[in-house]
Amino acid sequence: MISMPVLLGVLLIGFLLLQVVPTDPATVSAGPSATKADIEAIRQQMGLDKPVWLQFVLYLGRVLQLDLGRSMISNRAVSEEIGLTLWPTVELMLACLIWAVPLGILLGTLAARRRGTLIDRFIMGLSVMGVSVPVFWVGLLLIQYVGGAGLLPFQGRDGPIWTPSGLHSIILPAITLGAVFVGPVARMTRTSLLETLSADYVRTARAKGASDWRVTIHHALRNALIPVVTLVGLQIGFLLGGSIVTETMFAWPGVGRMAVGAITSSDFPLAQGAILILAVGFMTVNLIVDVLYAYLDPRIARR
Amino acid sequence: MTDDAIPLQSDADQRAIAALRRKNAVWRRILKDPPAALAALFLLLVVAAAILAPWIAPFDPYSNNMRLRLCPIGGARCPDFLLGADQQGRDMVSRMLFGLRSTLGIGVIAVLIGGSIGAGIGLMAAFYRRLDTPLMRLVDVLLSFPAILFGLAIAAVVGTGLFGLILALCVTSVPSIARIARGAAQSVMQQEYMEAGRAVGLGDGALIWRYLAINCWPTILIYMTLQLGQAILLGAALSFLGLGAQAPTAELGSMAADGRKFLSIAPHVSTLPCAAIFLVVLAFNVLGDALRDALDPKLRQ
Repeated sequence: MISMPVLLGVLLIGFLLLQVVPTDPATVSAGPSATKADIEAIRQQMGLDKPVWLQFVLYLGRVLQLDLGRSMISNRAVSEEIGLTLWPTVELMLACLIWAVPLGILLGTLAARRRGTLIDRFIMGLSVMGVSVPVFWVGLLLIQYVGGAGLLPFQGRDGPIWTPSGLHSIILPAITLGAVFVGPVARMTRTSLLETLSADYVRTARAKGASDWRVTIHHALRNALIPVVTLVGLQIGFLLGGSIVTETMFAWPGVGRMAVGAITSSDFPLAQGAILILAVGFMTVNLIVDVLYAYLDPRIARR
Repeated sequence: MTDDAIPLQSDADQRAIAALRRKNAVWRRILKDPPAALAALFLLLVVAAAILAPWIAPFDPYSNNMRLRLCPIGGARCPDFLLGADQQGRDMVSRMLFGLRSTLGIGVIAVLIGGSIGAGIGLMAAFYRRLDTPLMRLVDVLLSFPAILFGLAIAAVVGTGLFGLILALCVTSVPSIARIARGAAQSVMQQEYMEAGRAVGLGDGALIWRYLAINCWPTILIYMTLQLGQAILLGAALSFLGLGAQAPTAELGSMAADGRKFLSIAPHVSTLPCAAIFLVVLAFNVLGDALRDALDPKLRQ
């Protein structure tokens, strides 16, 4: 698995972040009335007298047990904070994918079918604009014109997505995040579909008298979707970047907003936990994409 | 001995001429493509404006005047400010010029440093076959990792500010340039002059520097330019989040973030920097697509 060295690197950064905490953890947990000997005893108990590499190994052990330390500001366990913010982030990403990916595939298919026409140029123009626009501008425009007019809420999350108010509050963030995602998907679908449309089996299908759209949808699109799935997997990183900005703008209580807040307020344990969970989440999604890949293309599973 | 014994053009000559033709064709194609030509012209103007900002800016971008606070575009309070004033009464035209300067400057520095490291990695991977797999594996790992997470992690370790921002943008531009450099270097490695250089007894260093690098740098430079668009977009996002350029500095991303508090009363304060980032990145991407089409023979019809 290619991401293993990255995971190790992220863990190293996380460990490093806990090392730069300005206060001595042993002194803090010993309390104000502790004697020097007490502090020393706690230091030994916490393993702070051990060599750095051993401390790193101990840290890995703690991470595996989901013990990520305590936030320096709220003093709650970092794992608890993450538990609260994880679902809103997943919710936001799903709400973005559920409209952006189908729309991207639809636009890409349309562009490939009408290759070289005005429609194609228009869709591809839109897609270049989509990858060039800063996420925060899309958000600002929506807040200014839709939120400002009082049409939809743009501050925070009013409950889970399945409640009416929760659904209401997720609309603007999901549109913001998805707007930058439609473009790459449309573009990849078009390129890949153009390639498969010139394949032999497509010509065979045509020769057998299948209609244009039947050939496109039934024969070519499924094969063309394989690179699109890969792209969606790769672009999850891109989506992650977008979601951090979107969460911050819309006061969405997710992991990204928490990470930015922790970094700007120097809450090192929380920052460590947030970065760790973002990295692990990214890798998990890539793993899911690999599995999906095998489902779309049985040749891969058989290998 | 007849003339046929020494052909006027050897194979290598012909290949060189063909390569030159291709290179000229690239530029001709781009100039014939109206959007790409427009993008190139626009970028030329933007870069000139960024470089000349201290001389062409009508006012000091840092001198504030609270009486002119949030003056709208064309407002009667600030007839001299063509694009109005921001939340501290500073001239938006000058802020934008200086913002463009720092946003572009940050991107250029980061891509130059990161791209050079990437180019070094790519050249080494192509020259020393044994290093190819480990180096490229490392590049794949870097490439697979979301750029924004590098930004967050680096900001967390070294603190928020310009140094961390540039470092993050550097790291993210290493892998893609390394790939391009390796591809370019591999095709150069197959040329006869590499063999000839080795035959006359040149060492590895001279071969890499005088033969390999010098023949790869045009391609690498083109892709570094294209990478700039991405670096600018990411840098602006990090600054917008408050992890990059800090408050008084005129930088487009942080200007957009500062202005968003006044969105309902003075939308121009954050809209103008946003639009500037969008147009610059769009121009880079349009030009990049045209270049890629022109350089990739598979897409050429």
